[in-house]
Amino acid sequence: MQRIIEEALMVAKKFGVSYADVRVIDRTEEEISTKNGSVDGIKSSSSKGFGIRVIADGAWGFSSSFVLTDEEISRVAEEAVDIAKASAKTKIEDVTLSKIEIYQDRVEEQVKIDPFSVPITKKISILLDADKLMNLQGIILRRGGMYFSKEWKTFASSEGAYLELERVISNAGISAIATDGKDVQTRSYPSSFGGDYQRKGFEFIEEVKLLENAWRIANEAIQLLSAKPCPSGKMDIILESSQLALQIHESCGHPTELDRVLGEEASFAGTSFLTPDKLGKFKYGSDIVNIVADATAPFAIGGFAYDDEGIKAKKIYLVKNGEFVGYLNSRETSKKLRLEPMGAMRAESWNRAPIIRMTSINLEPGDKAFEELVSGIDNGVLMATNKSWSIDQKRLNFQFGTEIGWEIRNGKLQDMVKNPTYSGITYEFWRNCDGIGNKDYYHIWGLPNCGKGEPMQVMQVSHGASYGRFRNVQVGVLR
Amino acid sequence: MMTRDKIQTILKKSVSFSEGDQTEAMLYGGKSYLTGFANNHIHRNVGENNYNLSLRVAFGKKIGSASVNDFSDEAIKNTVKRAVEIAKLQEENPSFVSFAKPEEAPEKDFFVEKTAEVTPDMRAEYVKKILDKSKEKGLNANGTFVIDLMQIGVLNSLGISRFCSLTVASLKSVILGDTSSGYSIETSTNVDDISVNSVIEESIGIAEMGKNPIAVEPGKYEVILSPYAFAEFISSLSYLALNARAVEEGTSFLAGNFGKKILGDNITIYDDGLSPETIPMPFDFEGVSKKKVVFFENGVAKDVVYDTLTAYKNGKESTGHSLPQPSSFSPYPMNIIMKGGDLSKDEIISHVEHGLYVHRFWYTNPMDPRRAVITGMTRDGLFLVENGKITKPVKNMRFTESIITALNNCIELSKEKRVMYDSSSITVPYVRIKDFTFTSITEF
Ligand SMILES: [Zn+2]
Repeated sequence: MQRIIEEALMVAKKFGVSYADVRVIDRTEEEISTKNGSVDGIKSSSSKGFGIRVIADGAWGFSSSFVLTDEEISRVAEEAVDIAKASAKTKIEDVTLSKIEIYQDRVEEQVKIDPFSVPITKKISILLDADKLMNLQGIILRRGGMYFSKEWKTFASSEGAYLELERVISNAGISAIATDGKDVQTRSYPSSFGGDYQRKGFEFIEEVKLLENAWRIANEAIQLLSAKPCPSGKMDIILESSQLALQIHESCGHPTELDRVLGEEASFAGTSFLTPDKLGKFKYGSDIVNIVADATAPFAIGGFAYDDEGIKAKKIYLVKNGEFVGYLNSRETSKKLRLEPMGAMRAESWNRAPIIRMTSINLEPGDKAFEELVSGIDNGVLMATNKSWSIDQKRLNFQFGTEIGWEIRNGKLQDMVKNPTYSGITYEFWRNCDGIGNKDYYHIWGLPNCGKGEPMQVMQVSHGASYGRFRNVQVGVLR
Repeated sequence: MMTRDKIQTILKKSVSFSEGDQTEAMLYGGKSYLTGFANNHIHRNVGENNYNLSLRVAFGKKIGSASVNDFSDEAIKNTVKRAVEIAKLQEENPSFVSFAKPEEAPEKDFFVEKTAEVTPDMRAEYVKKILDKSKEKGLNANGTFVIDLMQIGVLNSLGISRFCSLTVASLKSVILGDTSSGYSIETSTNVDDISVNSVIEESIGIAEMGKNPIAVEPGKYEVILSPYAFAEFISSLSYLALNARAVEEGTSFLAGNFGKKILGDNITIYDDGLSPETIPMPFDFEGVSKKKVVFFENGVAKDVVYDTLTAYKNGKESTGHSLPQPSSFSPYPMNIIMKGGDLSKDEIISHVEHGLYVHRFWYTNPMDPRRAVITGMTRDGLFLVENGKITKPVKNMRFTESIITALNNCIELSKEKRVMYDSSSITVPYVRIKDFTFTSITEF
């Protein structure tokens, strides 16, 4: 590994770069899915390669390859420099980077049971046991899945950084789809889009408790078929923590990405309403809203030891007591706004250059018991488990749908309702947050599928949340 | 790039190392370059050389699969071994019969040398033309210029042996003004087919027309959707409804409606991997030739796409629409084309008394799969149309609409079409749709 890296940095320097870094990644993945009582697919995959990022003539270049030979390393390093020099032909000003502390380190993941040491048969049997429990009359589709990955990444820079980092991820989730021939309803556990993910070993699979919840969600999917439609109008809502996690993702995580804010993602992901003039001067939410970017959060898949520019994991506030106070940034963007670099540069794999990504974006827990949140509502809905999401490119107008809901009347939970949806404008919504559940309900949800960048990079991020209560929200659009 | 011989040697080795009853090897990859620009300069410029070998091994009805991007004999042997182990540990998949069987198929290739010869400097030259024009007009240019050089080889123990290479060039421009934005993209296998001038004209034109938008009330509007906007509907349709998996899983509204007329006479939508109107592909990731599949013919629901697994399950033939296996998204239509009408875009606009022209939709997601209800935002160009003319720019709005309802309310289609490409391609006209539902408004 060291040889590849030294070679790459040496070639880059020879071509006169002012900065270069190299990442070599070797990743193994395993994916198991079951469907209606049988195995749907098992895939084991491995990928390795390297990427070289350079600044030459004051502009960025990046190239990457799967071939780890001396000849290819020289070719790729030279290509990265050629690409940078082509970029420089249109430059307005030279790229400059914030100064950072330089580290040499090796970090292993704290894993109890290596997921790749557990036989596939054991993994399959857990999923098929859960599948059996979901096999109720009216359920047409039962799905289960597990995902495991393990990688070693070596990062080195022309400034002397040298980091060897291990990363292990485990995931499990199930879902049931019910139909009565007319309507189709879905329930997922523990959350939608494949379930929950953590930086843990196989021990995580037991913690997820698929078998304890399989029958319940299948039964709920059937009950939803005959549930009444979610009411519509302005009312109060409570969001369960996995739905609140997605709300945080879309309405706080994305708009605080400083590259978006500065227009660098305008051609695809979009821009942001949280422009630099608002930093420290904008009421994002009510006084009880505190949102952090915390790459140090234990086991969170948005967390890490060092980011892909070699910055040690940090925790910073994005929103403090309702005030918008921080951005997710990079060495380049932090320099532009004279901010402290906070370490949010991440690349999907060896074949991508890092861009600003969410780390673990967490809404700090409040002080309310669930019963207190409910008892404070005369007319409203409790909504759980995301079903659909959409938000405009500046992250203002959003609309979410959840799998399930329950009416709240006179401070008490009432009937189950189907197809709940709610919509709003981001800061109006968060300013109407008047209750946050306590830490007993707090959970950091792993979200494996955040898409951003060109070429597209799918990133593992995470969000801590408890229950949240929001007043006077527009509920229902589906008739 | 790897040579064709090298790719075929790797595939042959992979199959020969396997002790399975059936073995399939698929190698896919190549070089890919993207020059990205924002704020009137190139801010991102990247290259990639990557290939991936996927193996499937079957013992009876037990299938294992494994993939790797190291093609040394040792790595291939280990990967075959992993696939074999997985297959042996598996439960039987009752629907599995066989991997694809060989068929008479002419060789086709879509590799354009001109596209492959584009250098970083040439990409910068193309982009510079957009940047210069944008600066001259006091606007802010953003976008990408992508060059993909791809190769795919499939070989299996039943005698399938296929190879194809393909180039794609795609130039996109998103122009931002203080209160507006405009969009344009052109994609072709041949870089010389891309007109940087027409990309500049369209994106800058829309951005300039869009200055100082007014707010209109959400509600039902007659709309003209540009191909960019309408492609979002067709793309949602392709995974919600137009494939055998969606029919089987009950999410497709086509289930139970085959042979019935469920849409208007003017709606004909099909998939054709070899049409000159698409970014072509002669066969799928199982090596099966692309067949033309008609989804709707004059409003009648006809068929959906199949891969080998869903085909055997339903007593059909694979239509050549497998994704790399195993995949819970396969089969998938990769070359959707909608039949256009005989009016020009301008004629269609001239027929609208009061309505909205939508240049682009963004972040569309399904809300109710079975009724094919989707929601999303307008972006990069929304205009009021009054008495047959585009009159005023409008602030962006959210729509919530059923694709079925929208297709049923489609009253006119243009003869002009556009090809949109993002791994799969969608070729659609401008369409005029009545009673289209906008549900809320945003601030810009
Ligand atoms: Zn995201």
